[in-house]
Amino acid sequence: MTTETRSVHSVRLEPGAATLLRNEIAKCRHLRIGLVTALLAVGIVGLTLVGTLAGASTDGDLTAALPLAGLSLAVPVASPVILAILASRAVDIEHQGGGWLLGRTTGVAPGRLCRAKLGVLAAAVAVGTGGASVVVALLTRALGATGPVPVSLWLGYTVAAIVVSLVVLAVQVLISARIDNQLIPLGVGIVGTVVAIAASAFPSWAAHLTPWGYWSLIAAADYAGESVVTLQPSYVSVVALALLATAGVVVATRRLDRQEV
Amino acid sequence: MLSAEVLKLKRSQVWAVVVVLPLVMSALGVVNTAASGTGLAEGWDTLWLRTAVFFGLFPLALGVAVLASLVWRPEHRGGNWTALMSGPVSSARIVVAKTAVVAGLGIAMLAVQLAAVWVLGAAFFGLDGALPPRYLVVAAVTAAAVIPLAALQSLLSMVMRSFAAPIGVALVGAGLAVVLMTAKVHAAIAVLPYALATRAGQLASGAFGDSGALTAGSVAAVLVATVVLGGVVTAIAVRVLDRRDVVTA
Repeated sequence: MTTETRSVHSVRLEPGAATLLRNEIAKCRHLRIGLVTALLAVGIVGLTLVGTLAGASTDGDLTAALPLAGLSLAVPVASPVILAILASRAVDIEHQGGGWLLGRTTGVAPGRLCRAKLGVLAAAVAVGTGGASVVVALLTRALGATGPVPVSLWLGYTVAAIVVSLVVLAVQVLISARIDNQLIPLGVGIVGTVVAIAASAFPSWAAHLTPWGYWSLIAAADYAGESVVTLQPSYVSVVALALLATAGVVVATRRLDRQEV
Repeated sequence: MLSAEVLKLKRSQVWAVVVVLPLVMSALGVVNTAASGTGLAEGWDTLWLRTAVFFGLFPLALGVAVLASLVWRPEHRGGNWTALMSGPVSSARIVVAKTAVVAGLGIAMLAVQLAAVWVLGAAFFGLDGALPPRYLVVAAVTAAAVIPLAALQSLLSMVMRSFAAPIGVALVGAGLAVVLMTAKVHAAIAVLPYALATRAGQLASGAFGDSGALTAGSVAAVLVATVVLGGVVTAIAVRVLDRRDVVTA
């Protein structure tokens, strides 16, 4: 008779990164995050078209820079409140349903949960903002814009706009997680819209002070009197913002990890 | 009922919406004036366009939406919804009390906005004379037009547990209203509370398809739409609440 020995393995209780992301994707589907992201894309495209048609000359002449100017204005107008809504919807369910405590008891600290939420929302925002830019570019071609479409500038603007949007999204997720009363993050989103709109009138140093101001620093085209001219986005500023924001998210979520729920 | 609703708003930071939002939007009007380089070419008219009319475009709808979410938030927490459903208070009284509080706060927000415009014009920009009386009439009509908007946002915040979702609906509604008003589809005020509030704020402005004159006809159209829409939306909200039940989780 042989004696069977059964080895005892340590059991990992907390869910892995893939499971955590799958959970968050499921929550986002339930919260109709896809619909809100579509709203972001439709808002950007709609505002760009309104701005473009309003700015087109009466003889129907449409330069390729005009939709780019419209896009540079539409993104900061449409994004702040919708990013605040996305973040608030994703985080508020944890406040309402005792999700922070549930996560903690299953080995998922609040900061880790926030990073997972940010990851899923970031993918949605990147698709929404990038998709809107692509649609505007295609419409520009379809409408028969005169002059060459500045592809590299358009691409550079789109990437920079996505980066700024993700930084603003990160700020909104952290505020929504830190403050139970969702009035504050939504209020920040509304005031962010004001800052984003007004930042084009700010001096450069002032536009650098808040994440919402960076949309004005990356504007790829704008009006110079009656005509529209292309501009050079401040890519260096956006890279610096991205690095600062990444460090900020790491520090803030680690603090959340140590926070009692 | 009303005092109970007001009591629930203690420490909800509702003042941040009622006071800060209109002040921030008025400050934006100052920034826009400074950026334009032309100053206030048409005096009070230009200032009104850059502050009050702009406020009616989307900040007003968003502000009222946030207020409605704040007013309904306590009912969606813990077991309060069950308490609401099992209490002896009729649905009509609940809906009317909530709508009255949201509308009252919305009107207070407009009053702060009006005061900010007045102070900016008289003290900051040194404009001649007082705010033209027609703008006081427009402010009063806009205050009335806020009531159906408050009723609709109250209904949305009642059926949606999420704080942010009704605000998203308001954003879409305000955007749609701006497009409709720009396209001079003024008849939309009869069916869309967002369009009604936006149109009221644009009266006598000469912008967004407005003639620039304050006529009895345009004021009457807004007021009639206010009464009809307010009644219809409130009746719908009462019926919806009548059919709601307790919820778990």
